[in-house]
Amino acid sequence: MAANCARVVGSLFGKSVNFASSTRPVTLQFCRQICGTPALRRKNLGPTVPETFTAEFIQKQVEEFEIGKRHLANMMGEDPENFTQEDIDRSIAYLFPSGLFEKRARPLMKHPVEIFPKQRAVQWGPDGRPFHFLFYTGKQAYYSLMHDLYGRVLKVEKHQDQLRAKGLFPTEPKQIALGPSRWLTKEEMEALLVEPISRQDYEHFIQLMERLLAMPCCSLEQQFVMSHRQQLEAQSMHQVVPPLQKDDAGVDFSTAEGRRKSSRGSVVVRDCGAGRLTVNGQDHLHYFPVLQDREQLMFPLQFCGLLGRFDLDCSVSGGGRSSQAGALRLAISRALLSFLSQSEGEAMRQAGLLTPDPRVRERKKPGQEGARRKFTWKKR
Amino acid sequence: MKQEEEADSHIFNMAASISGLLKPWTPRVLLVRWSRYNPYYLEPEVRKEAYSRPESELSAEEKEERELKKLRPIKAATNSTTSSLFNDPVLSKFINMMMKHGEKTLAREIMMQTLENIKRKQVEKYHKATDGQKEGIECNPYVVFHQALENCKPVVALASIQKGGKYYQVPIPVTGNRQRFLAMKWMITECRENKHRRTHMYEKLSQELLAAFANEGNVIRKKHELHKMAEANRAYAHYRWW
Repeated sequence: MAANCARVVGSLFGKSVNFASSTRPVTLQFCRQICGTPALRRKNLGPTVPETFTAEFIQKQVEEFEIGKRHLANMMGEDPENFTQEDIDRSIAYLFPSGLFEKRARPLMKHPVEIFPKQRAVQWGPDGRPFHFLFYTGKQAYYSLMHDLYGRVLKVEKHQDQLRAKGLFPTEPKQIALGPSRWLTKEEMEALLVEPISRQDYEHFIQLMERLLAMPCCSLEQQFVMSHRQQLEAQSMHQVVPPLQKDDAGVDFSTAEGRRKSSRGSVVVRDCGAGRLTVNGQDHLHYFPVLQDREQLMFPLQFCGLLGRFDLDCSVSGGGRSSQAGALRLAISRALLSFLSQSEGEAMRQAGLLTPDPRVRERKKPGQEGARRKFTWKKR
Repeated sequence: MKQEEEADSHIFNMAASISGLLKPWTPRVLLVRWSRYNPYYLEPEVRKEAYSRPESELSAEEKEERELKKLRPIKAATNSTTSSLFNDPVLSKFINMMMKHGEKTLAREIMMQTLENIKRKQVEKYHKATDGQKEGIECNPYVVFHQALENCKPVVALASIQKGGKYYQVPIPVTGNRQRFLAMKWMITECRENKHRRTHMYEKLSQELLAAFANEGNVIRKKHELHKMAEANRAYAHYRWW
């Protein structure tokens, strides 16, 4: 270790104090290199190659992870057999508390499969001969996929010719039931093939897939096509409906929060049948003297046709008058979800009532007067 | 379905990953016009009638759009839109264009006073008119406003196109948005500049709107002059290549 931390300090008087190992000669040096390591001294570094992890290395990491998991479970006094990833995260956060803001910089312990990027196994045998016949194209997975796809296109065409020869060619093309789905994106294709693809390659692939779909008898290759499509799920599934509670008087109520810019608001919607609105203890007419803000508060109720039915108890802080009204509007829409059916909730979502508004004030940039305004242009 | 897929793939080329599509977003290359919404988001539909139409009344495109809306996230509705009957997108646009230094309350107040003024004048005229003329007088200020703006919209405008070292004024057709913008802009500029300093804005605006409703006034004159210029430059119309 001492040999690594060599200190070479030259002075103007010609003396040189050298703590180096015996291999380094003592010379008059006017250079100051404090605490150098061989890695630092090595210049002219070539291009860095991404680290490749062998299969044995990954295997060893997996074993170490499993053993470490059991140790951790023992340390925390929990059952090593039923120690899940959430337990691991909780234990690590407890044992190594970190105040860092960047979540990815905090200590983490995850299965090696998630940490090390997925890499292909060695592509050639002990004699150096590659296994795959397309290895020397450089993009063997992509080209083999394109070959496979084109083979299927030809197969479907041959099938169509046979049907036409027999006279059984279908007059109405039987389309594959694609459902709500989309093609896999370029990133997803790269993850599937474990190989980088260029944009032109990806577009070529999509074009050939579309050509396959355009054929009348394409239902033969349904499974192949669907394996390259990602199902889209309805957005309404993501909505979190606040639970409907009952208070002591037997009145249904629900609570929700909303935000807009820097305002935070929360509302308690009661099914009394009065139609009263209280904001921060005051009547809404006093708190929001501007008509536009009151319109925004009534918007969700008016959209659902429930104007006189509910009692609203709102509290809001931060921001200006318009953003407070927007925060309350979002809170009211969310609270109303628990009183409405799913189709009405979906209608509210499509009206834009349930999306938190992401627009915030744009920062001022250096060299400009404001966010967009530039300084006055002077010719000289 | 094909166009949607192409649009989808185009949007996915712009967005990085699926989980990043639903968050507040900044584009990777900062364009001049960008918004905090990922381009994946769709515009909201605020009117109540659009949701009460049964399946049978819809055409194929509208059905497809409905299916698409179920799968995509939707932008939040703006501050000035509501689902009530009094919400008018054209009126909101006009109020925004009249607004100065972000004072929406003042702009809206001026607009409301203008509409009230128009109503008063029309009702006065109605009561003074004979029975035969009474049907011809429009008392609804919203109808007057919309019709006046319609009358102010130019059909053709001039564009400066360079050909052979010289710039020619070439007549070009005007799209719907541009027509509306020009009509509103002329109306507001006219009312701001050509009025006596003691006249209120709402007073001058109501006068101009009523004049435009009757196809008279400075704004209509400006539109006619633009049309005449376009007619005069008809010879260069073939310089347009789009």
